Amino acid sequence: MVRLGAQYTDRPAAEPPEPSQPAEPSKPVEAAESALIEAVEVSAGYDNRRERTRLIALRDISLTVRRGEFLAIVGPSGCGKTTLINMIAGFVQPLSGTIKVRGMGVDGPGSDRAMVFQDYALLPWRTVERNVEFAVENRRGRVPKQDRERRIAEALALVGLAGFERSFPHELSGGMRQRVGIARALVGEPEILLMDEPFGAVDAMTREAMQAELEKIIAKTGQTVLFITHSIDEAITLGDRIVVISNRPGTIQEIIEVNLPRPRFDERNDVRRSARFGEIRAHLWGLLSGEALGAKSISGGPA
Amino acid sequence: MTQVVPNGSKATRPTPQVETITVSKFAPFRGVVFTAVNLTSFFILWELIARAGVINPLFFPRSSEVFSALYRGFADGTILPELAHSLTNFLIGLAISAVIGIPVGLLMGASRIADLVLSPYVWAMTSLPRVALIPLLILILGFGDAMQLTIIVLSAVFPIMVNCMAGVKTVDPSLLRAGRVFGTSQWETYVKIILPFTLPFVISGVNQGIARGLVGMLIGELLGGGGNGLGYLLDRAGEQFDAPMLYGVLLLLAVMSVSLIQAMRWLEERAAPWRDITRT
Repeated sequence: MVRLGAQYTDRPAAEPPEPSQPAEPSKPVEAAESALIEAVEVSAGYDNRRERTRLIALRDISLTVRRGEFLAIVGPSGCGKTTLINMIAGFVQPLSGTIKVRGMGVDGPGSDRAMVFQDYALLPWRTVERNVEFAVENRRGRVPKQDRERRIAEALALVGLAGFERSFPHELSGGMRQRVGIARALVGEPEILLMDEPFGAVDAMTREAMQAELEKIIAKTGQTVLFITHSIDEAITLGDRIVVISNRPGTIQEIIEVNLPRPRFDERNDVRRSARFGEIRAHLWGLLSGEALGAKSISGGPA
Repeated sequence: MTQVVPNGSKATRPTPQVETITVSKFAPFRGVVFTAVNLTSFFILWELIARAGVINPLFFPRSSEVFSALYRGFADGTILPELAHSLTNFLIGLAISAVIGIPVGLLMGASRIADLVLSPYVWAMTSLPRVALIPLLILILGFGDAMQLTIIVLSAVFPIMVNCMAGVKTVDPSLLRAGRVFGTSQWETYVKIILPFTLPFVISGVNQGIARGLVGMLIGELLGGGGNGLGYLLDRAGEQFDAPMLYGVLLLLAVMSVSLIQAMRWLEERAAPWRDITRT
């Protein structure tokens, strides 16, 4: 039921060595040592067996994620953003193309990648600390019992939940539940943090506070972050680069370097009032409103 | 330590803010007192209507007569053995139903093959009116405990099975994804995610099993002709035009089923406190 990609397991086990890149108009070739995640011409889709059709969610996505960067992914709903992140997580196998993390093909979830879910996905029968422990107690990624308590305490302190160890998720607000989700993702010290619209379900005020805290947390822990969002402002305030994905079938429309100084949340120097912010914002609005109206490839996307 | 955002509105506090409020010492008993008053008025009203003589006392005895019939029945030992017989049979039947129904239901939820193979029979047996089985069961098992127990199990086991299966099938998919992200083995997925999620469904299945099992118990005793149990008391009281006893046994059955259901509800609240709170 949940194994979305289970039917696509006919992937070759051994990948051929990286061929010299074919002409890629929209993708700058980057230094190999900084590439943590590499997707090469990845397509993904979902079979509808009843109607004997296959919905292509993503087509020929090529993307390199640098080590330590914060990559925001925006696009209209249903454009395949979540599919992309699910492939990197290892839930969904691509129909074609390859995804590599540290040069190794992804063939399933791994403890180097943790995920923060939009709907929190906490175990309601467990307390906050037991929920965080969930990430370090299972067969893969188990941390010895004597180290767990300390790491759980550290993760909870990092997200500002010290004192709530014994609370249950249903006793917490949405923002606090997501802090638990973030603590759970961080406690296993993954290299990559996959965040699927993590603040989509919290109110605007909390959302802004959470963004600021996320920036601080990542500055301390140094994860590479892939962050899906609907919000243009959120993408600009948090992202080092922004990947704009066009509508179905999803293709990468543009990758924007944000180039705003960090920390972005600085009371004296609000980046959101800067000219650069407004410029990117206007540009993204142009791209995405065109998408929302259904006009494809307005800015000369690949044919 | 984390600093809270300077202008962020949501400050985190080390402890939840709780203040003490004053509540009357008798507040918890208010519901009980209300119910007691409610029931007392009901029986007084019943008594008055019966005394007015509008309805033939053959069908409608006074409530005082009903209570004295019950008292006499308990005093001279006509009721207690039958009550004990019914209750024992019922509880054994329910236990057997749980022991069979829960694992089979869980298996049907988890394994597509088990579901495909078993579901036609399970659904047929769930929908079939239980009374229809009585003649066959009498033919096979004769009159008596074995037949009565079988009909209880056949009544209670299928709702339990179906609920357990539904529980496993409705496990929140994002919890299963979280399990995959955080490295659960298949066994850990069952033990840490699927079973706790299914527990409230198991309990509500047993709840339905109780309701159906009581029906099974009664039809077994009424139609099975075994000569014991509360069903037999009802049957005999009817034949002897003993209306007070008839009403008395019905009252007893009501008390019995309400207490069983309440016990299960209490258990349900303990087993899944998060559900109760998210509902309100």
